[in-house]
Amino acid sequence: MRKDRSNKALHYVFIAFCWIYAAFSLYPLIWMLFYSFKTNNEIFVTNPFGPPWPLHYENYITAWTKYDVPLYFINSLIVSIGTVIITIFCALLFSYATSRMVWKLKTFTRLFLGLGMFIPVQAIMIPVVKIVQKFGLMGTRWSLIFPYIAINLAFACMVYYGFFKGIPMELEEAACMDGANIYQTFFMIIEPLVRPATVTLVIYIFLNAWNEFILANVVVGSIPKLKTLPLGVLFFQGEFTTDWGGMGATMVIASFPAIIVYSIFSEQVESAMTIGGAVKG
Amino acid sequence: MKKYMGNKLAILLFVLPALAIFITFDFIPIIQVFAYSFTDWNGLTIPNFTGIKNYLDLFTDRVFATSNRNQLIFAVVITIYQMLFATVFAITISDKKMKGRKFLRVAYFIPVILSVTVVCQLWSAVLAGDGLLNKLFEAGNFDFKQNWLGDRYKAIYVIAFVNAWQWMGYQFALIVAGIKSIPSDYYEAARIDGCSNVLAHLKITIPLLAETYKFCLIISLTGGIKAFTEMNILTGGGPNKSTYTLTYMMYNAAFKKSDYGYGLAAASVMVVECMLVMLVINFIFRDRDQKKEEEKARRKRRA
Amino acid sequence: MKKRILSTLVCLTVAATSIIGCGSKAPVEETGKDTAAAETTTEAKTEEKAEEKAEENATETTEASGDKVTLSIYTQYADDDTKVPYDYAVEQLKEAYPNVELNLIVQAQDDGQTLKTLAATGQLPDIYQASTDIINTFRESNQIMVLNEVAQSTGFLDKLYDANKDLAYAEDGNIYAFPFSGQEYVLWYYNKALFEENGLEIPETYDDLLNCIEVFKGKGITPLALFGQEGWNTAAAYDVIATRYAEGGIKALDEGKASITDEGYVNAAKKMEELVAAGLYQEDATTTNYDQASEKFLSGEAAMFINGQWYIEDATKALGDNVDWMFYPAADAASYEAGKAVFSGGGSASGFAVNPDSANAELAAEVAEFITEKYCEAKVMYRHNPLVAIDTGKEPDSEYPAMMKKLSDTLPSITATTKFTWGLTNSTFNDAIQSESQGLVSGQFTADEFVQDIADTME
Repeated sequence: MRKDRSNKALHYVFIAFCWIYAAFSLYPLIWMLFYSFKTNNEIFVTNPFGPPWPLHYENYITAWTKYDVPLYFINSLIVSIGTVIITIFCALLFSYATSRMVWKLKTFTRLFLGLGMFIPVQAIMIPVVKIVQKFGLMGTRWSLIFPYIAINLAFACMVYYGFFKGIPMELEEAACMDGANIYQTFFMIIEPLVRPATVTLVIYIFLNAWNEFILANVVVGSIPKLKTLPLGVLFFQGEFTTDWGGMGATMVIASFPAIIVYSIFSEQVESAMTIGGAVKG
Repeated sequence: MKKYMGNKLAILLFVLPALAIFITFDFIPIIQVFAYSFTDWNGLTIPNFTGIKNYLDLFTDRVFATSNRNQLIFAVVITIYQMLFATVFAITISDKKMKGRKFLRVAYFIPVILSVTVVCQLWSAVLAGDGLLNKLFEAGNFDFKQNWLGDRYKAIYVIAFVNAWQWMGYQFALIVAGIKSIPSDYYEAARIDGCSNVLAHLKITIPLLAETYKFCLIISLTGGIKAFTEMNILTGGGPNKSTYTLTYMMYNAAFKKSDYGYGLAAASVMVVECMLVMLVINFIFRDRDQKKEEEKARRKRRA
Repeated sequence: MKKRILSTLVCLTVAATSIIGCGSKAPVEETGKDTAAAETTTEAKTEEKAEEKAEENATETTEASGDKVTLSIYTQYADDDTKVPYDYAVEQLKEAYPNVELNLIVQAQDDGQTLKTLAATGQLPDIYQASTDIINTFRESNQIMVLNEVAQSTGFLDKLYDANKDLAYAEDGNIYAFPFSGQEYVLWYYNKALFEENGLEIPETYDDLLNCIEVFKGKGITPLALFGQEGWNTAAAYDVIATRYAEGGIKALDEGKASITDEGYVNAAKKMEELVAAGLYQEDATTTNYDQASEKFLSGEAAMFINGQWYIEDATKALGDNVDWMFYPAADAASYEAGKAVFSGGGSASGFAVNPDSANAELAAEVAEFITEKYCEAKVMYRHNPLVAIDTGKEPDSEYPAMMKKLSDTLPSITATTKFTWGLTNSTFNDAIQSESQGLVSGQFTADEFVQDIADTME
């Protein structure tokens, strides 16, 4: 605790570095906002980095009139929330069974599901769409939700696995002695302990589903009622030229909800973590 | 207890939903990918079985070697960058004395929230020939001016950096969550023993978060192996395919050349590579797991 | 506390399922919102159709009873060059086919990934914009309708300019798509004002060009802004040199009538290597996109630009009289003169195609033809581009730009053209020339590597 001077100087350099890095991480947000008020000429030649002037707010008007923003927004929201809830639910149960319960094939099953992490969407797109059709899901929101769950499942299971592994076995022993059945033990004692992981995963899966483009374009690209926000950029990309300012506006419209979700949840992370810690201590 | 944790019905109920979705929407398609990689197929007509021809062509393809080299570089760069910075920042943020830690925590995570397109647009503006970075070097009279994204051999490092920069925040969040789940009395005990803050973390955090680190390692390495989007936006795979990866090869073959079978062969090789990496990592970390288990058993016996 | 969490979770799940459930298959209620008219009113039909297709019910829709028919159409709709013709066509369609409505699916710039996936999964739209590559691929799987009869009965063939006949017919002699673009040309644009300010003449030989490069570079001006992230632009940059040495350019290579190891092509590659080394293109050309390069040229930061003739309208709008195009420079004065008759570029077999499995295929074919005609009219009238596939009999709403007049005057003397990359038929060669020419532009691949790699690929 008694630090000499050079140590202290080093400490300040380090703190400064932390803040500079943070500034670099925040800049894209500001940059995107600037960008959405510029014309192609400003973006590429005259003013790529500074604040925009005059404000080309018409980019937002074009974005708003080119496609039905509120409708796309609600679609994105429903699909993303649906994906998050079901993925979290499945992944929690699966990881609990493969990490803490006792059965023969658990390692194999876990690694088998881990396969899902390595598949590029472009490769499995055609088979996936065919399966969606076979189940008669085409034209419903499930046509996006199920593939999204499948894409995120492996990742979520792996995160949970790590967290479950770290919980001492004594907890279940105690619960067992108190006469709780396995379901009660899981939902009331174990699940709250991995709340920090759940919150980070909620954010991550939500963002993945929210930003997904390739599959959405193929599955709901022809059904106006079900289109999601990322498909909005299509209205700005021509064969040769792109209206970058308009795209910037679309991206701002699409990202700010995500940022709001994150700011809300990051508060939750903090409180969830304290709850988790309290239970543990 | 063993009976309690081996409740067959519960296991089935717990595993089934995830497994059902995975098999239907992931595993069956993967099997098809492997099956079609042995055919001559344009994606639409009836596939012709051609045996291992696609694989033979693939292994002699000039771009195949480049792709593998790029994937390796990509994986190594992002692994080192992300794990190093994520750990350092996570430990810093977890120190209750640090001022503005809430703000910093949000800031580091921001790049993750933005879509890849936005992040790549920004970096391509920064890294362009007359972009911000070169202008800074010029203004400071440094001789570092480069064609950052256009270099045949070096561009891949730059792209890897962009990816690492964007996704560092996620590993950071995971490690922060991990640190939070470590009971604080562990640290108090260490402090009483006279450990400095950094030392306490080295001794407690990193070993206790072995599972989290293992997981971070897997996502970084396999993320590098299957990289695609960043190349697609930043360089378009160029110059002359020198920033290709196997996923890019797959995309190019399947959609630009309508040679789906060949593309799927590239994808299959990539999946196998990822699996190998995962198995190797599991193998390396296995010893530690076993040790822990043994220790637990010993403790139990003593009790 | 714990119980509450559990119950909230259950509630959330239930709520989510019900939201998802009702949003989708339930009968469509009239929202009464007319803003997104085209979108909302067509929903019900599209969905029905999608379901029918999925279940492979071959039941006829109610078109015969005079009800509205909705046709889905997959086409570009982003910039003025694509929006103006589409909007015009839709407007005209309302009068000619009042019972037909279009459901627009905006084309993604993804190398045909979306369209091919839609085709592979049986969701092909009724009408879609097909490139040469798409036509050739879909022909094999019978997912593109033969339009010979419709082209005859609607009079499309009569209106088609003789010079554009080959654009309508595929290799097997059938018509699969109604082309709307005519012959197109790669033009070498230059900024007249910048040349005059620096006392430079229009370069006729490569020596002149090298001199221009030196002067411009000295002034901090990019000699030629290339958008080398797009393979077609680097391929065109090679083609404008290759055609000075071998008339067939990349077209002859594509058709197998010439080999990359022929002297002319090797010399062209060497010349390009030399020009790259001298700094003809900007250093980061291979990572420059179209908009970046175009802005550079239009703002006077770059003196020259290589793009199709469709750029005339935009260039004139921004630079007025200060912009013009020149004949491509050549090795010496004699080949410069001779080369004036050979242009890079050309037409491509592409246009509106029809899905033969559509419930309303016959009607869709007629509508596709109608839209094609209207596209041509709109391009002539509002985009001042007379180089369309058919004789529209329309006049532009204002005078043609000077560069277009100059091109029209030159047209009769043009004896040969090559191809844009999207008109090439050999997809292996197409892929190779795009990436290898990009390698040359980057300055990090030698001409020898260029020739060797393409030769290897073509074996």
